[in-house]
Amino acid sequence: MKNSILILVFCLFIACKTDKKNDSPLQSAPPTKIEINHAKGFSIETTNNGLTIIEVSSAWPGATTSFKYALAPKNKMASITLNKEEYDAIVATPIERLIVTSTTHIPSLDALGVTNKLVGFPKTSLISSENTRKLIDAGHIKELGNNETLNTEIAISLRPEVLVGFGINNQNKAYETIIRSNIPVVYNGDWTEESPLGKAEWVKFFAPFFGLETKADSIFKSIEKSYEQTKAIVKDVTKKPTVLTGGLYKDVWHVAGGKSWMAQFLQDAKTDYLWKETQETGGISQSLETVLATAQHADFWLNPSILTSYAEVEESNEHYTQFDAYKNKTIFSNTIAKGATGGLLYYELGPMRPDLVLKDLIHIFHPELLPDHQLFFFKPLE
Amino acid sequence: MQDPKTYRYSFIFLLAALVVALSVNICLGSVSIPFTETLRSIFGETLENTAWEYIIWNYRIPKAFTAVLVGAGLSLSGLLMQTLFRNPLAGPFVLGISSGASLGAAFLIMGSATLTSLFGFSFITDVSLAIVSSIGSFLVLLAVITVASKVKDTMALLIIGLMFGSISAAIVSVLSYFSNAEKLQQFVYWSFGSVGNLSWHQLGLLFIIVFLGILLSIFSIKSLNAFLLGENYAKSLGVNLIRSRYQIIIATGLLAGAITAFAGPIAFVGLAVPHLTRQIFNTTEHRILVPAVLIYGAILMLICDTITQLPNSAEVFPINAITSILGAPVVIWLLVRKRKMVF
Repeated sequence: MKNSILILVFCLFIACKTDKKNDSPLQSAPPTKIEINHAKGFSIETTNNGLTIIEVSSAWPGATTSFKYALAPKNKMASITLNKEEYDAIVATPIERLIVTSTTHIPSLDALGVTNKLVGFPKTSLISSENTRKLIDAGHIKELGNNETLNTEIAISLRPEVLVGFGINNQNKAYETIIRSNIPVVYNGDWTEESPLGKAEWVKFFAPFFGLETKADSIFKSIEKSYEQTKAIVKDVTKKPTVLTGGLYKDVWHVAGGKSWMAQFLQDAKTDYLWKETQETGGISQSLETVLATAQHADFWLNPSILTSYAEVEESNEHYTQFDAYKNKTIFSNTIAKGATGGLLYYELGPMRPDLVLKDLIHIFHPELLPDHQLFFFKPLE
Repeated sequence: MQDPKTYRYSFIFLLAALVVALSVNICLGSVSIPFTETLRSIFGETLENTAWEYIIWNYRIPKAFTAVLVGAGLSLSGLLMQTLFRNPLAGPFVLGISSGASLGAAFLIMGSATLTSLFGFSFITDVSLAIVSSIGSFLVLLAVITVASKVKDTMALLIIGLMFGSISAAIVSVLSYFSNAEKLQQFVYWSFGSVGNLSWHQLGLLFIIVFLGILLSIFSIKSLNAFLLGENYAKSLGVNLIRSRYQIIIATGLLAGAITAFAGPIAFVGLAVPHLTRQIFNTTEHRILVPAVLIYGAILMLICDTITQLPNSAEVFPINAITSILGAPVVIWLLVRKRKMVF
């Protein structure tokens, strides 16, 4: 009965592996809140015994649970007692090795000057940052497959001190294995943030892991100042051009919702976005008929799916040629500017540099106000 | 009736192959761990490289055992279905069990917004996914059993199972159509199947359910042999037809439902392995076939999983692609050589 021997051995394996837990009582201290002015998805508090508590309330859209992470300085680890049950992860700082999972995390690491601490990333080809690409090419940053089916073996073997994850829910089996291997996983919800400056403020989320809070604060302040100054350029504009966004996929046209990130940029750039009245924060599915009726005469058209030239526009759907923006050659797209390996610059760096996005848009819609600006994210179709 | 002893050497060979496949599966992976280190760790020595030790004990070994359970369980449920319906093309998912599980998973992943607004909280966890897809399987199974009590003909039951499957698949399509890209992606990845990343705890649960399914099958061996001779003949042998049929369907439901819940819908194994086994064991005796498909299925799944892991590379193939690439030619070959089949 070799079968039963196998089963017996298997049961022994189960019996041998038990989780270790070491709980200790919590030492309380009155916390100080770090200033977060625009981002709604996270908060940071510091206690007088050197502990930093990050709370992520919007890990994914419609999240109903908050995640609480405790960051304790390595040199004080011995003196700080924490109740493990109270936190979703405990991280010893400053960290020397980390894994991040979204290209939106890369600009924060670049800005803080800690890209060399990154040891692994799923789908490295999506990264466009030149600085990070050098490290990938040098083999310093390892490939981890893709985020939905993260290569657990490689992730664990890299021995990161933290994995910054993202997901549409907490359904990532690989993350669970990584947590069981005592590598803390923290969720970053930067992509759920709706306002341009809110997204950029997530640089402050990364700072405490490296003890760079002051640096992050000054980085964000300069972006905030630049954004406000750019916004002020168009404050007296009265003639707002009308704008259409998105394109067809099969027979559904996805336009940006009236409360989306894109729509807020369009509002700050003083345009009349034709779907500004809608309440959606993501995309809205529309039929071709509706879009044609609403936006045939729009002055500008942004991001027609992944099309890069007027020839492609005509080829992909003959109805596209009915739009004034096609006839007047006023179509611009954020999917043309790509990194060395084909990653889209806009989706990587755009969230961190809303000031640059806004400058691009003002240059497109009101060229007389920013005549010398070189388009960075948005390019005209060929 | 043949004597199992006739096949002693075939069984010894199969068991040896199982041990080899298991060892190879545990030794190979994306991270290159020296063979000697792997062996040292398995025999209880502590490795200096704690990450390796963790990978071996908490990722590779559970993954290998998951593959064993998945392969064995699905192959057995395939054998049960083929015998029950006396149809060489029946498989565990013919009754719509897999579609039911997919429907449950689809509702949870892609309909979770609706669920959240209805109940005020989101349900998605590993456990809830397993529970919901099991419920999906069992609801379809329940519907089939209800119909089975009305329909005496096994062939009609087969068609009804397929119809339930189609209905479930259609609802999944509708949910997919109205779902956003991220949710769709998550569902698609679930449907690719995966035997990795189960905790020891989840593995224990899966083991218990699969073990129950195997026990039920062992108790049904006599009636399985009788079923092959036709329902009337089985009746004359004193087999309680209705009870046996339910017992076999429930065993299949347990096996396929639990496996689909934990590992996603794994294709083809259930259909192909019983035929591959009959090629070696030229018999219709279930006392031989039941243990043989269990071992054969486990070996095949271990081999498939080893291939998906592509040693020393970050990319992991979806296991369903590999099982189908191996399984599809078998099915084609079956259809072509149908007259020469051992059945």
